[in-house]
Amino acid sequence: MSSQTQIFPDMPALCPETLCVSGLSLARGELTLVRDFNLDLAPGEAVLMSGPNGTGKTSLLRAIAGFIRPEAGTIRIGEHPPTIAAAERLAWLGHADGLKPGESPRQALRFWAAMAGQPRKAILPLMRALAIESVIDRPAGRLSRGQQRRTALVRVALANRPIWLLDEPAGPLDGGGRARLADLVAWHRSRGGSVIAATHQILDWPDARRIDLGTHR
Amino acid sequence: MNALGAVFAREARLAWAGGGGAAGPAAFFLAAITLAPLAIGPAPDLLMAIGPGIMGFAALLSVLQSADRLFGDDHADGTAELYLLSGATPAWLVLAKVMGQAVATLWPLPVIGLLGALMYGVPVETALVGALALLAAIPALSLIAGFAGALAAGIRRSGLLIALIATPMMVPVLIFAAGAGRSAFEGDERAVANLLLTLAVSLGTTALTPFGIAGAIRSRLG
Repeated sequence: MSSQTQIFPDMPALCPETLCVSGLSLARGELTLVRDFNLDLAPGEAVLMSGPNGTGKTSLLRAIAGFIRPEAGTIRIGEHPPTIAAAERLAWLGHADGLKPGESPRQALRFWAAMAGQPRKAILPLMRALAIESVIDRPAGRLSRGQQRRTALVRVALANRPIWLLDEPAGPLDGGGRARLADLVAWHRSRGGSVIAATHQILDWPDARRIDLGTHR
Repeated sequence: MNALGAVFAREARLAWAGGGGAAGPAAFFLAAITLAPLAIGPAPDLLMAIGPGIMGFAALLSVLQSADRLFGDDHADGTAELYLLSGATPAWLVLAKVMGQAVATLWPLPVIGLLGALMYGVPVETALVGALALLAAIPALSLIAGFAGALAAGIRRSGLLIALIATPMMVPVLIFAAGAGRSAFEGDERAVANLLLTLAVSLGTTALTPFGIAGAIRSRLG
């Protein structure tokens, strides 16, 4: 583990998991967003998906999470389709952060730790790792967009699940936030976790595979 | 069950986290039963006769008042997606959520209903039966409102749609709950039967509606 990843807490061991997407086609109404998309993701890998607006980055993540049904193709997380496997193997960061305006990060993260069956003791170290421990008791409605995003990233890490699906994870983050996000992803990968992120930004994630969805239509 | 307890507690806490908004249904209910005599007239016999009906009707509208936020907020802020990936059984989870909200925001309704009935001149025994009927009706009303709210989640200005979906589904519980109070006032032995029927509808709704709400949430994410 690198010196950067040592700032992250000890958490229960991950059960690394593979993801296999084959021949996937996604459509919105009459419009085909993704055609014959294939992806194999091994433990420890990271994939950065880019492409112009409307090329299906978010839809692809949502299909992997089991929120939308593909037109064709299969998705397997380990041996199972998302509908069976997702709840135990996927951690999700969507466009919205899943925060309630009247709830502080401490309250929200304690709740999500309980939902994931994970200990609360990792909350503060993870918030420190993302440099937001000073706002831990501030209502989410009074946090900046970047602070809200960092809180959501803590929630993703807290779930302690092997595959992270991140939709525009760095959208509202500043330079420091993007660096800490890169550290968080490196820590997760060092534990055998894997990451798929849809992004418009240039993210400096070492050894990450880059896929341009603009070529898959 | 830890996760469901966490959802229940969170909903009860969040109901009051944003200020006094959670008092909306109770305030609406109080306003409705207070204003009704001003519109109908102060004749004691009339108020005693229609009191149980007004209570049931006002409770129905009060529950609908916040139905758009129950699952609409979760849809907008991304919580619905996280719930579906949480690992908790969705039907149990939504039941815990709706009950958490109901306990936090609707508990005053039977109390206000009891006091309101007494204010109308209804005998104490009848007022108690009416309050019990309201208490028995709250789970059904809340879950039906939740179901309509989940179906309409993500739709702007969803209030009309929610009312159109929920109101017909609430008719049985409204008839039985108001009927319990009315029968008690008339000294009719059907009061207990109506009370039990209200409870039966609530239990049936509690058993079935969470599956519908969970399905609605998933379909709205697709």
